[in-house]
Amino acid sequence: MLDVSQIAKTYPTPRGPLPILSNVSFTLKRGDAAAIMGPSGAGKSTLLYILGGLEQPTSGTVTLDGRNPFTLSEKDLAAFRNQSIGFIFQDHCLLPQCSVIENVLVPTLVSEPRASASGPANRARDLLKQVGLSDRLDHRPAELSGGEKQRVALARALINKPLLLLCDEPTGNLDQTSADVVASLLLELHQRQETILVVVTHSAELAARFPLRYELRNANLHAAGA
Amino acid sequence: MQTSTLLARNLTWYWRTNLAVLLGVATAAGVLGGALLVGDSVRASLRDLVLARLGNTEYVVSRNGFFREELANALGSACPIVAIDGMVAHESSGRRALHVQIYGVDQRFWKFQAEPGAAPSARQVLLSAALAHELGAQPGDSMLVRVEKPSAIPLESLHGRKEDVGKTIRLTLGGAAFREFSLEAQQGDIRAAYVPLARLQKELDQAGKANTILAGAGPPPDLKDLYTLEDLGIKLRALAKQHCLSLETDSAIIPDALTEQATATAQSLGLRAEPVLTYLANSIRANGREIPYSVVTALASPPGPAQPDGITLNQWAARELGAKSGDAVSLEYYVWKSDGRLHTETAAFHVTQVVPLEGAAADRDFAPEYPGITESNSLADWDPPFPLDLHRVRPIDEQYWKQYRTTPKAFIALARGRQIWGTRFGSLTSIRISPPSDVYGSFLRTALDPAQMGLVVMPVRARALEAAHGATDFGEYFVYFSFFLMVSALLLTGLFFKLGVEQRMREIGVLRALGFSLAKIRTLFLLEGAVLAIVGAVAGLAGALAYGEFILFGLRTWWVDAVGTRLLTLHPSTPSLATGALAGVVTGLAAIAWTLRGLGPVTPRGLLAGAQKPHSTKRPLLIGTVSAALALVLLALALLRKLDQTAGFFGAGTLLLIAALSFESAWLHARSFAFLRGLLSLSLRSAAYRPGRTMLCVAQIAFATFLIVSVDAFRASDSAGAGGFPLIAESVLPLIHDPNTATGREALNIPPLTGVQFVPFRLRPGDDASCLNLYQPRNPRILAPPAAFLRSAHFAFQESSSPAPNPWLLLESHPAGGAIPAIADANSMTYVLHLKLGEEFVLNHTRFRMVAALQDSLFQSELLISEKNFLRLFPDVEGYRFFLIDVSPQRAPDVTGVLEQALSDYGFDVQPAEARLASFHKVENTYLSTFRSLGALGLVLGTVGLAAILLRNVLERRRELALLRAVGYRAAHLTAMVLAENALLLLLGLATGTVCALLAIAPAVSLRGGHLPAVSLSLLLAAVLATGIAASLAATAAALRSPLLEALRSE
Repeated sequence: MLDVSQIAKTYPTPRGPLPILSNVSFTLKRGDAAAIMGPSGAGKSTLLYILGGLEQPTSGTVTLDGRNPFTLSEKDLAAFRNQSIGFIFQDHCLLPQCSVIENVLVPTLVSEPRASASGPANRARDLLKQVGLSDRLDHRPAELSGGEKQRVALARALINKPLLLLCDEPTGNLDQTSADVVASLLLELHQRQETILVVVTHSAELAARFPLRYELRNANLHAAGA
Repeated sequence: MQTSTLLARNLTWYWRTNLAVLLGVATAAGVLGGALLVGDSVRASLRDLVLARLGNTEYVVSRNGFFREELANALGSACPIVAIDGMVAHESSGRRALHVQIYGVDQRFWKFQAEPGAAPSARQVLLSAALAHELGAQPGDSMLVRVEKPSAIPLESLHGRKEDVGKTIRLTLGGAAFREFSLEAQQGDIRAAYVPLARLQKELDQAGKANTILAGAGPPPDLKDLYTLEDLGIKLRALAKQHCLSLETDSAIIPDALTEQATATAQSLGLRAEPVLTYLANSIRANGREIPYSVVTALASPPGPAQPDGITLNQWAARELGAKSGDAVSLEYYVWKSDGRLHTETAAFHVTQVVPLEGAAADRDFAPEYPGITESNSLADWDPPFPLDLHRVRPIDEQYWKQYRTTPKAFIALARGRQIWGTRFGSLTSIRISPPSDVYGSFLRTALDPAQMGLVVMPVRARALEAAHGATDFGEYFVYFSFFLMVSALLLTGLFFKLGVEQRMREIGVLRALGFSLAKIRTLFLLEGAVLAIVGAVAGLAGALAYGEFILFGLRTWWVDAVGTRLLTLHPSTPSLATGALAGVVTGLAAIAWTLRGLGPVTPRGLLAGAQKPHSTKRPLLIGTVSAALALVLLALALLRKLDQTAGFFGAGTLLLIAALSFESAWLHARSFAFLRGLLSLSLRSAAYRPGRTMLCVAQIAFATFLIVSVDAFRASDSAGAGGFPLIAESVLPLIHDPNTATGREALNIPPLTGVQFVPFRLRPGDDASCLNLYQPRNPRILAPPAAFLRSAHFAFQESSSPAPNPWLLLESHPAGGAIPAIADANSMTYVLHLKLGEEFVLNHTRFRMVAALQDSLFQSELLISEKNFLRLFPDVEGYRFFLIDVSPQRAPDVTGVLEQALSDYGFDVQPAEARLASFHKVENTYLSTFRSLGALGLVLGTVGLAAILLRNVLERRRELALLRAVGYRAAHLTAMVLAENALLLLLGLATGTVCALLAIAPAVSLRGGHLPAVSLSLLLAAVLATGIAASLAATAAALRSPLLEALRSE
């Protein structure tokens, strides 16, 4: 279960602190899929990074299955992200020097305990098959289209069977067709893996496909339409 | 997927950056390994050179005098030669070469060295190739070889022949010698002449004798059972009538050490040893009468008187003087003193006894054999080496000579005789051993230590190998000289790696988001760095060989003045290559690790967004302020003379450099360009965008500039250090007479020279202790100035062991422990002898303690000790061979010509003191040029780094540039912007380095009259500026060639 309680985030500026998030609270359980919408600069990505343990909130707590990532040591926090969280970024962030399957396997390099060599590789192949890229295993990112790259990123995010899948504008850089494919895959794999899925987007179309929808306005999180 | 796979992917994907890092490490490893190889190569080349010149010689048996050449026969593989310092002149051209090694050799020498060819025939001389070239001599040319004529009788004794010190031999040049041969470890050309042994022996009156034996491999020759007393110049004469043996020497003087041993041996055999000292009195005077030119003997027993002031006259003398017991008698006699003058002295006695001319009183064998006197048939035939007034000789004196020859006319007490006639060479003329013993000679021979008597065995090969370790560790020097090059390479390594890391910031962010800890990411990068460092270091092995060969090529050509030989070759050595490679790995990795410091402070989100390490101005401001404050303190201390000015200003300059760079860093970090407008403002903001990169460039250029400019401060000036003496001179043959006196000049055939003053120094030849000699001096030259010179306080001192106003006087001190106080030039002491003040140098069991160091003087080739100590330590080294000459500078050229002409038989060579200093400075200045050249190479590397950064900056800003073009900027605008940014970095670095360096060297420049090679420095700095500008133009052109608007569209 993801429990977000009273999260606030302010940034210091020459004109005083700038509140980005204020009093943000919500709870998601395994299998939930939520979309968080809001205009640019509303704090969507900030919230996502806080959920992923990449950025510390100014106040409030985040717990995932009872573990507060911000109380962990640097080493444990890294392991927490590695095992419990999957990230998908707007511009895929694939390593250009690695092949498709290698990109998917990158998180397994620091997994503790290390699985056998064949285990993650089989899982990576399986995931890539599920995202329709089983014939592109040895291709480099530069040889893929935008949608394909994002599907690789999706497979990479799921390689360690995370509990929480965080997506930052996953279809923001894609054309409509590719965006639909990626969104469908995302939801399908989320259901299959029973993750908690949180997507931040300003795409109403993408958000509409999610059962739970929130909107960030004036640093506060509101249920969509509320 | 394994970590190694990711590693391999990273290494190959970012191959351009990685190649640059690899080359940086390879350069650093190559430069260090190459510098160390230079040290190995110089040592190995010196070793090869000296061993080649020694040939088959392993040991040398030598003596200051001569010994039987048959001694060599007993030594197995050995060869007797005569080795002597001399001069050679080409008769037709008049060209002459001084300090030539003259070897008297025969076919045995060729056989010993296992060389083809033949010894010179009776009238031939062979010259070493270098000497023949120097003299322009061709086979068949007539050559004049002049050598010092050996004299058993000390020149500086009354009976020494001071005007007949040399011998000239005319020979025909037979050709070039078979190869270079030398017993001395020195890297310069061999200047040697090979003369037929028999001919040289004949000319020197030393038939069948040699002064050197070359011995081959094997155990060291044991002379103990082989030498004879004759080899040490000792004679045992049986005097039947006197029923005793008379122990005498070729020199007619018995050294104190021999006296001691001869007496002890006699006592051990139950024999009586009666010391005898016989001298020549110019006059015996009493009662208004006098007897000219009489032999007087000092004895410790009758007929010698018991009282110290007593004198025994024989009846003939008593009659001539009308003297009786109790009458006052005075003796007048000559004494040759160590100041190069003949003194007439008088001693007073009273008659204690008159003895008949019989028994011991009629013993004509008390007198040793004096050439020119004892063999004469009459007093009128005497040919002594001192003034003689034959008008004083009466017929009755001639009658006495005819009848009694050298029979003493008077006897004095031995103690008194030793007091008035004793010399440094000894104070007896013979020792009577009685009764005569057949075994005394063999017992004495066994008891004597031949080495103590000057017959020594020297392991020349072993010594040469020690000396070949070199006075200077060229490896160390070139590590210093190459230091900036290495630092530049390492900075570039770090810079390129940093560029690579910065290029991959988003990748690092992704990895962190995927669960990679910071430590894991650092490890990953360090592993990459390690692979690059190891491969780079391995590549650096080839670089080390290339750099070593490059430096040695430089030493053989451009920098030959630093080493004085073109015979240095590369000798690769595994330890140096391994050290260079290992150091390359370690330092390369350290540089890479240093660049990874910046990863920590950036959040993963920041990394994903491409953010840089947050910058603070506090730290650089603090460092700058502290450094500036310390610089001001040093300056104040230097100006108040509380601190050495050179050290104070140099320290202040260096601190100021650090302060300036820190303030510039803070300025860039603060991005405080609000007051600027337009394109320049944009450029400066670009420079400030990556302040770390920018400052790395500025610092590299500033440090290189600082080094290059400040090195000039150490260039030596030739005018100081001559002690106010315009001329110095050296002679091959010793001058015994004092050229400052009219009689001395007359004896030396020097015309009257008004206003010319000589300071004669005693000189013991030895190894050159200056930077001109690459070999470690084991047996340095020793000079002894006269006592009066010590009080004149010429020359400046760098330091002394006690705060004496005139450190020269420390030479007359008596350091605890009995060491001999010595002074050396500070440079020679530190860099050649490797001694500090108070430390000791041991030469033949004698300890010389350094009591003062001269500041950049012309005495760089030797140690200086007091004349008193010199005479005590080296009694056999006679006369003066080194001179400081005080004369007005205008007359110096004329005086030079007159002296060289008048004293040509002595091989007198006069040169301006400044020329001597210049020869030393040429070496130092060449080292500085080397340092500067390698520093400039470092600067070139710095400029390469600058160009790489510019290119990277421009490429990273392609979108910005595209945007600017989209909004109406022309290509010229963009070029101007990039140029302005680059010029800022270059000018900042050049100006910072130059200003701080000028401050650092201000006192040194001021001391030299403000001379600074402004033109060459300006040209060098302008070249750096031009290179940097060219690099920025190339970078801009590259950026403008790329499809900028495409970049904009992709945004």
